[in-house]
Amino acid sequence: MRVSLFVTCLGDRFFADAAADAVRLLRSLDVDVDFPKNQTCCGQPAWNAGHIPQAREMAAHTAAVFADSDYVVLPSGSCAAMLRCTYPRLLEAPVVAERSYELAEFLVDVLEITELGSGLEGRRLAYHHGCHALRELEVEEQPVRLLESAGAKIVPWEMDQECCGFGGLFAVKAPEVSIAMADRKLDTLPDVETVVSADGGCLLQLEGRARRRGVPIPFRPLASLLWEARSGRA
Amino acid sequence: MDVHSRDYRARARQIIEETPEVREAVNAATQTFVDNRQKAFADLDGTALSRWAERVKSHALSHLADYLEEAEARLVERGAHVHWAETASDVHQIFECIVREQGVKKAVKAKSMLSEEIGLNPFLESCGVEVFETDLGEYIIQLLGEPPSHIVGPSIHKSLDDTRVIFHERLGTPRDASPERLAEAARDLLRDAFLTADLGISGGNFLVAETGSIALIENEGNIRLSTSVPRIHIALVGIEKVLPKWADLPTFLQVTAKSATGQPVGCFVSMIQGPGGSPGDEPDGPEELHVVLVDNGRSRLLADPEAWEALRCVRCGACLNICPVYRQTGGHAYGYVYSGPIGGILGPGLVGLEETLPLPFASSACGACADVCPVRIPIPDLLHVWRQRAVERGLTSDVERSVLGLLTSTATRPRLFGWAEKAAGLLPAPVLRHLPMLREWSAGREPPRLEGPTFRELWDEGIE
Amino acid sequence: MSDERVSKRARARILGRVREANQEREPVEHPGTLPDALEPPGPFGDAGRSDPVGAFEDRLRAAGGEVVRLADEAAARKWLEEFAREFESVSVGVGVPDTLQPALPKAQPSEAALGVSVAVGASAQTGSLVLSSKEGRRSQLLPPVHLIWVRAGDVHTTLGDALQACREDLPATLALHSGPSKSADIGQILVTGVHGPGRIIAAVLLGPRP
Repeated sequence: MRVSLFVTCLGDRFFADAAADAVRLLRSLDVDVDFPKNQTCCGQPAWNAGHIPQAREMAAHTAAVFADSDYVVLPSGSCAAMLRCTYPRLLEAPVVAERSYELAEFLVDVLEITELGSGLEGRRLAYHHGCHALRELEVEEQPVRLLESAGAKIVPWEMDQECCGFGGLFAVKAPEVSIAMADRKLDTLPDVETVVSADGGCLLQLEGRARRRGVPIPFRPLASLLWEARSGRA
Repeated sequence: MDVHSRDYRARARQIIEETPEVREAVNAATQTFVDNRQKAFADLDGTALSRWAERVKSHALSHLADYLEEAEARLVERGAHVHWAETASDVHQIFECIVREQGVKKAVKAKSMLSEEIGLNPFLESCGVEVFETDLGEYIIQLLGEPPSHIVGPSIHKSLDDTRVIFHERLGTPRDASPERLAEAARDLLRDAFLTADLGISGGNFLVAETGSIALIENEGNIRLSTSVPRIHIALVGIEKVLPKWADLPTFLQVTAKSATGQPVGCFVSMIQGPGGSPGDEPDGPEELHVVLVDNGRSRLLADPEAWEALRCVRCGACLNICPVYRQTGGHAYGYVYSGPIGGILGPGLVGLEETLPLPFASSACGACADVCPVRIPIPDLLHVWRQRAVERGLTSDVERSVLGLLTSTATRPRLFGWAEKAAGLLPAPVLRHLPMLREWSAGREPPRLEGPTFRELWDEGIE
Repeated sequence: MSDERVSKRARARILGRVREANQEREPVEHPGTLPDALEPPGPFGDAGRSDPVGAFEDRLRAAGGEVVRLADEAAARKWLEEFAREFESVSVGVGVPDTLQPALPKAQPSEAALGVSVAVGASAQTGSLVLSSKEGRRSQLLPPVHLIWVRAGDVHTTLGDALQACREDLPATLALHSGPSKSADIGQILVTGVHGPGRIIAAVLLGPRP
């Protein structure tokens, strides 16, 4: 099986190691991974802010880059939702839409993997569900199941499905509200060693706020934890 | 009501930074509403119910003129007076005539968001009418001189102690009075108002075309009293409130109550078909019933092919309760009678986009509101329609346009994009902190770590 | 301009704009009555169908109301005599039979300690009593305690059935009372008896209609 990795702009710049972990993980599952070099940004920031022509240009570019891919796998729920759910509104023939998957979703729904390994034995994690993965892709159980099957304990968190306050440009257009939302998440966080999420934007938001407040918990991308689950390497 | 939405960010900041107790009170109250709603729908096929309710409302809106005429005819047959008002000033004129002709000096008023929309209280006071808000929450904020901060719970931002203080000052209750004692003080004062008022004013949750019924849901009994005891009753009803048939009403009553507070139906429901006492044949009830059908922007929104669905709204407040943005501030930050997600689509639709900016942007686009809307209004999509229009009309900031323009032109030139991602890592942190947008980011959050290679570089080196 | 001219002009313009707005729109069909399958199950579903009085009682109690079941008129009169002892005066709705009126001094509704009504129906689904304004509204609303007689045969399974039964002869106001008056507007703390009656007692007459 052959997949194209869409690393996404946040993934490329801020979560390069996690994206590399996604490649290692997929290869370890006998998936052939390629990385089309012309990929850039999916256009979501522009779409979200209401700048449609710009969003359409970026969508068209991305669709062209992945035109020949059998599967497009993204280590990001939000960008995967952009490709699958929003491209059909922007493009006439968005074939890329139905071939795009968030990483955990791809593993569980397409590769039908239920266990990756036992590399997370004894780990206490909290999982933050990104809004677009949850509501647009309807990815809810897949990442949690993969983490748990590797031995992690996903500690219940009453706010695990509430928005972190990132929301693209919202984070800088209403920064005080955005930060107050992150604070609600942090204030309700249970006793865990790491918070995990599939979404880079959410991680930047939560980690940025936690560091500013001196909350010492690490916030880590799902791809890295899944690779640890498989490889047993922390 | 005046619209002050432009100050959204400043007001929100002020509430969050200066009155943390408001945020706490709003959080607690909305969480209770959310939990109760969830329990109420636990055993139901909520999706099937909302699909049905959506279709009934869409059907009613797509045949609105006929249904309005039908409701009017039924009401007139029963001896009610039906008035039509295009604008707030039309409503004012209608009230002025009734109040003057009938010598009204005192009015008791049940909660009505439409009356807030058209600034009814200040107008009536200018006509020399003393107006008593009779919903306990509305009464509290009337004493405080504040507008409601929530469609269903107008005073959810106020604590027990806030009410103690204002009741102590205005009603002379002890400084440490219990909630029961406070309620009793309000009850006594307002009971006197009910018995001596000439006029009762209400809104209307639904207007049933087939029977001309105005339906109202409540818990305190103040709506029943306002519409039963005074000699005249005036009901203010938005033209979008129509339900076609009597048989539609029971489900809408239940769906609305469940969505709002999780109750099976409110403690009291009134279904009003006409005046009661003389000239009617009933022992008591108002002698005159006036129904004012109000447009105030609704017909214009109905004509908007992309945004009309906001008119299905039944004002249950479920989208406010679930909204993580609303919960940080309560309704006052929004500067408009309807706050939260629904305010972001009703404001531009009823008042105008320029006047209510940046309400469509006061959302993180998380989509939670769409999950709970009992009439399936695609709120996130409609917010997005208004965002799009704001951009098209040049109402958003130049900085934003430049930044997104820059993103687009690099994102369509892959080599430049790769280079830019790499170069970003070379910029010193103090410089980054002063770039537009990153400045806002850094005010309360650490900037993202930019050091280390990009993924492209790792890929080129080879991933082991 | 007089309010009538304002209203007439507004009427024409509003209806005109609404018709114009809908001209281009694809009309949406009314979905018809809610299929039975969508009537909520649970305490007022299957149980409600076989035992509407029991389901009604559960619902009304859950909302803070009181329910008493009385086997026949004789039992009702006996219970009433006992119940009336704690009150000093009463206001009775028009149409409450003499036999179901407590032997208490009559008072104006605004002064009476107890109000007594006869419901025209009830809904198990919502724990609601259906009251007509034909019996007078003040005795339903002003006294602090409200006793409502209802015949078991008038307790419908669903609110829809209860309202449908009233459809042909609607009074000026039909009302549902589904619990005591309450409010959480003061600091989110629940208080009862805010404006309407703080106690509501449904007395269900189980016997056949006299």
